[in-house]
Amino acid sequence: MTRVLLVGAGAVGARAARQLVEADDVDEVVVVDPSAARRAAVVHSSGAKATDGGSVDHHDIDGVLLAGPNGTHADAARRHVALGRPVVSCADGVDDVYDLLALGPEATGADVPVLVGAGFSPGYTCVLARHAAATFEAVEEIHVARSGTGGPACARAHHAALTGMAVDWRDGEWLHRRAGSGRELCWFPDPIGSEDCYRAALPDALLLVPAFPDARRVTARLAATRRDRISAHLPMLRKPHPEGLVGAVRVEVRGTRGGVQDVAVLGALDRPAVASGAVAALALRWALRGRLPVGASGLAVLDDTVGFLSELAVVGIKAAAFAGSG
Amino acid sequence: MALLRRALLAVGLAGLVAAVLRLRGSGGTPPQQGGWRELSGPDLQ
Repeated sequence: MTRVLLVGAGAVGARAARQLVEADDVDEVVVVDPSAARRAAVVHSSGAKATDGGSVDHHDIDGVLLAGPNGTHADAARRHVALGRPVVSCADGVDDVYDLLALGPEATGADVPVLVGAGFSPGYTCVLARHAAATFEAVEEIHVARSGTGGPACARAHHAALTGMAVDWRDGEWLHRRAGSGRELCWFPDPIGSEDCYRAALPDALLLVPAFPDARRVTARLAATRRDRISAHLPMLRKPHPEGLVGAVRVEVRGTRGGVQDVAVLGALDRPAVASGAVAALALRWALRGRLPVGASGLAVLDDTVGFLSELAVVGIKAAAFAGSG
Repeated sequence: MALLRRALLAVGLAGLVAAVLRLRGSGGTPPQQGGWRELSGPDLQ
């Protein structure tokens, strides 16, 4: 019997719960959230396999999915790793990702995987980067961009990311540059189309560089409107929506294939919370099956990207490639 | 007093110009041809 613990019953957690209860290889999903109402709503909507973590014990857990807001993941992950449980985290904050990756030695010692940044971006984008990289002899640059937000916690993270410091990798060293700078027009899958994207406090490079140590440049950008940029330095002027609209991600990989310089652009389109929940749930199931490496890493370490993307395509999250020219 | 007013005016104008420069325009040109296609086939290419 496979019993998993889902921490966080927000927009992403609710979608992850739905994916987990529908999986044949998961028998019980124990839902934990500080809000009893949110917890009960997710348990109620997820069916018989879901149980309220407020009323059942948390022993005999086989794996843990952390889908709470940023800032809550590292300590929880450390506790579960110490108990020998595989952990999948949806955290997309730079500090969270630093702290989770630092659990590497503990995870290796406990012989369990800790999957960091297992959402739409980072997460799905890491898989796309690895998938695109398989067609190159040498990968020199990876540039990630994302548009849209999931639930309220994601919207707050988006707001905060435009005021922090971006973390870029360039020629063997980390560069910290002001978020909101570096405007670039990025072309996302239709109907999102073109959006201006900016440097932001995003953790993608932290997850991609260890998986692509020979890459010279790794960057991440966030789509933002003029209003986002004006209001980025102010408190959020209104309460975030319960869930954002359709979002998209895009990964550009540059390198050498067939002996010449080439570029591959992969992307995907979905509601960010739906896609994040599906990616995290699948990552946890793969971790439970022993299909992910021991230690702390992002999804760019996946060997079988075709298998992972194919399983996600079954639930409607489909990758696309851009073919065109400027 | 006049000096202070001129300084404030200069700072205000500089801020206005900076705001316009920051918010106007776009970060590039969109692709002129091509489009997105779903990955397919056994290798998802």
